[in-house]
Amino acid sequence: MQSPKRHGLSADECRQLCQKILGFAKADHTRVNVTSGISGFTRTAINRITTAGETDNVTVRVTSVFGKRVASVDTNRLDNASLQRAVTDAEALARLAPENPEYLPELGEQKYIEVDGYYVSTGDLTTESRARAAALGIKAADTAKCVAAGFIDVSAGSQAVATSNRLFGYYSGTGVASTLTIRTPDGLSSGWAGDEGADWNTIESGRIAEDALRKCRDWRGKTALEPGKYEVILESTAVGMLMSRMLGAFDARQADEGRSFFSKRGGGNRLGEKLFDERVTIISNPAEKNAETAPFTNAGQPVQREVWVENGVLKSLVYSRFWAMKQGVAPKANASNFIMSGGDTSVDEMIKSVKRGVLITRFWYIRGLNPRIIAFTGLTRDGTFLIENGKVARPVTNFRFNQSLTELLANIETLGQPARVAADESGGVGTPIVVPPLKVSNFTLASVSDAV
Amino acid sequence: MKLNLDRREFVKLAGAAGVAAATTEWKPAVAAPQVTAPGPDAAEKDLVMAALDVVRSAGAGYADVRITRGNTEAIAARERQITNVSKNETYGIGIRALVGGSWGFAATRDLAKDSVTATAKQAAAIARANDRINPVKTALAPVKTVSDGRWMTPHEIDPFTIPVEQKAELLFKTNEEALRVKGVRFVTSSIVSIRESRLLGTTDGSLIQQTFLRTGPNVNVTAVSEDNADFQTRNATLGPRGAGWEYVVGLQMNENVLRWAEEAAAKLTAAPVQPGVWDLVLHPSHLWLTIHESIGHPTELDRAMGYEANFAGTSFLSPPEKFLNKFRYGPALMNVVGNRTEPGGCSTCGWDDEGVPAQSWPIVDKGIFVNYQTTREIASWISNWTKMRESLGTAYGQDWASIPFPRMPNVSLQPNPQDLSEEDVIGATKRGIYIEGDGSYSIDQQRYNFQFGGQVFWEIKDGKRTRMFRDVAYQARTPNFWNSMALIGGKSTYKLGASLSDGKGQPQQLNAVSHGCPIALFRNVNVLNTA
Repeated sequence: MQSPKRHGLSADECRQLCQKILGFAKADHTRVNVTSGISGFTRTAINRITTAGETDNVTVRVTSVFGKRVASVDTNRLDNASLQRAVTDAEALARLAPENPEYLPELGEQKYIEVDGYYVSTGDLTTESRARAAALGIKAADTAKCVAAGFIDVSAGSQAVATSNRLFGYYSGTGVASTLTIRTPDGLSSGWAGDEGADWNTIESGRIAEDALRKCRDWRGKTALEPGKYEVILESTAVGMLMSRMLGAFDARQADEGRSFFSKRGGGNRLGEKLFDERVTIISNPAEKNAETAPFTNAGQPVQREVWVENGVLKSLVYSRFWAMKQGVAPKANASNFIMSGGDTSVDEMIKSVKRGVLITRFWYIRGLNPRIIAFTGLTRDGTFLIENGKVARPVTNFRFNQSLTELLANIETLGQPARVAADESGGVGTPIVVPPLKVSNFTLASVSDAV
Repeated sequence: MKLNLDRREFVKLAGAAGVAAATTEWKPAVAAPQVTAPGPDAAEKDLVMAALDVVRSAGAGYADVRITRGNTEAIAARERQITNVSKNETYGIGIRALVGGSWGFAATRDLAKDSVTATAKQAAAIARANDRINPVKTALAPVKTVSDGRWMTPHEIDPFTIPVEQKAELLFKTNEEALRVKGVRFVTSSIVSIRESRLLGTTDGSLIQQTFLRTGPNVNVTAVSEDNADFQTRNATLGPRGAGWEYVVGLQMNENVLRWAEEAAAKLTAAPVQPGVWDLVLHPSHLWLTIHESIGHPTELDRAMGYEANFAGTSFLSPPEKFLNKFRYGPALMNVVGNRTEPGGCSTCGWDDEGVPAQSWPIVDKGIFVNYQTTREIASWISNWTKMRESLGTAYGQDWASIPFPRMPNVSLQPNPQDLSEEDVIGATKRGIYIEGDGSYSIDQQRYNFQFGGQVFWEIKDGKRTRMFRDVAYQARTPNFWNSMALIGGKSTYKLGASLSDGKGQPQQLNAVSHGCPIALFRNVNVLNTA
């Protein structure tokens, strides 16, 4: 049973709102998307709460179709006149819009897997609770004569999709991310820790404060290390920040059109080829506990558990409805989360197995470098260490890396236990990413960065 | 160059507001208020006043209330078909309250009076809760009250008045022209039009209505080798502008796209760059982003003081007392201004979100770092060194749902007083690479180590642009890079580059910002091959 206290419109409210809007429609096809809920945040810096706030919103998108002419209008005004105007505007725009030859008619009723991603622990979180959790980081930093900056981001709400072909989908969910940076007052060391989930009860505010402070202390006195190719241990957050960049890469059309790593020389794609280490399995699953997502796309297409890579072999690519029809295969929606298999080696055990390598806490400013090999550049941040003879030898200055992710997935030596990580650089709740820590050979640390 | 509507014409469009030159005087240049811009809607004004009353009664020592209505129209095409036609409206009220020394913010889309009252109380309650758990002090810089402020982006043609078919036709023409080039298989083009109405009321007594217009066209061409083994893209990097439809007309996308398409195809067979040390001639369509990342961000005072430490990072320009008026950013020919009056600038306005007038001030003067970007909350932190008590006016919240905080103004490198042409600058280069357009970009969290790519790269040999290179990126450390600047072009080479989506803050907010610059020559920069 759904709690009446949930944020965001209920399934019944969404259904009624969609029906009302569809009732205004005169187009051949109409689709309605409703997104509603609250977002709340508490932000800290220089050992004080700097800002905090809460926002509520409801956004309605009306997509109107005449033949193959399509247009959409978004509004957050819900009075009848405004909704009617949104429909009229969308229809007027659609009539004017040139035909989209790739448009396929709106979907009818669909069967979705059942997912409830709403955690009351998150939805009911108050300003005071957020402030108390934030104060733990401030206190840890204060006590150690250090400086804390943190962010707690909360969202709780629902989304719905309906079409004039009687499709209706509804999902209600929550998300929370808590991240903390602790720096020494001289600005020469910095440590970071963070958690992300759907359930506030999985966010360990005390441990986050301890870990950020520990990293900050351990990284003091860093010295430069020569850039080059290293064996590296990537903590799970670092892995997540890289792997989240793989999300958009599994596209069949891009591959078939010759503009992707998954393109086959001479045409077609590389489905069925072994491209990565055989321990690499990548799936997505809207029902993954504490990483739930809606079981449908904005267009109402079902999102199900999919295996993208199995034992290193490329098993699936995303097929839009149009591209699937053209290729004579079943459509397959984008991954709504990213779940990578792991092993059972702890980071400490990985360290013991390294003769000379680098331990990396997380990354920053990751940007595309070469899409042909899914290469990215970026920088290490908030705790980078030299490992020698199975032990952390010393803290080292940050690096810029230039690294192909496909090579990384081929160069894996050891995998740890997967966990959901705060992989979004912004510190906000992002696409759920569940990944293991990894030991990887031949990682390119291209140049030294003086940044702290 | 392809931008037919240049800065000179924008100065004309913008009327009296010109580009302030860098100056050693501290008095900032301030924009004159416009009397012709629309005033506030009566109902919105009543709501703002009511919210200010409620939040004041709830114990706020200071509060500001913003009603914003954002309208966006987007149209996009891929080859010979439309991929998106959409309109977006978002409307609501955001209330920021200072209780004790703590901020609270609450926002709602529901503009019914009861809802606004509840939201105003909530803003004060959040501030009070924070102040109880973590009491702090906050002092706001003084500001002159503006009782009836009005401003609108100078423009000739409201982009929302141009029918969507006309926009689609322009995109189709553009794509068709690109597809004529051998090797070009894909082309996407788009135009986004943005209008933002913003009514601000403060407990200090200011009431300001502003309307911002921004127009953002884009074209992206992809060429694929015959065997599918390679592909190259050419993004036209036209850039958005604080302007109307006249900007799009002046770009002549459907004609200039031929050159971009030819360049995309040529990149497939271009010579791979030899990594090593090169001189670089950076075109404004590229250099704007380097300025953004390596001057714009590190001179944000909140960053330098640790407010962004958990996300965007801090700044190498910290602590302020060690850098202000002392640090050599670059050579004496380097003058950089923060400028919210820059004609055509995406961050150009009449007032900021705290009612502080738009102004222009020196950030780097004859190569020396002389000022940061400030708001009312943070201006006093450096007034001992800047001798300025007032805010420089950089507060901005992206919409009604977002709390205002320090955001980057237009930050621009001033042209050489001697009007050197592009040819003059290329001519002064014996062995170099000419880079046009922005590509991959990444910079560390204190803005030291950066690596930038571009769109097209040409070898310069003995003062002449010769063959095309591919897979070029350069890597440098901010102070070394700017101190290697050997020559800059004059005002005839000065152009704006811009972004509609500069991210900062937690929750992350987007800011639209422009950067003007002339063409410039940098000596001995480390270049790598990204293939």
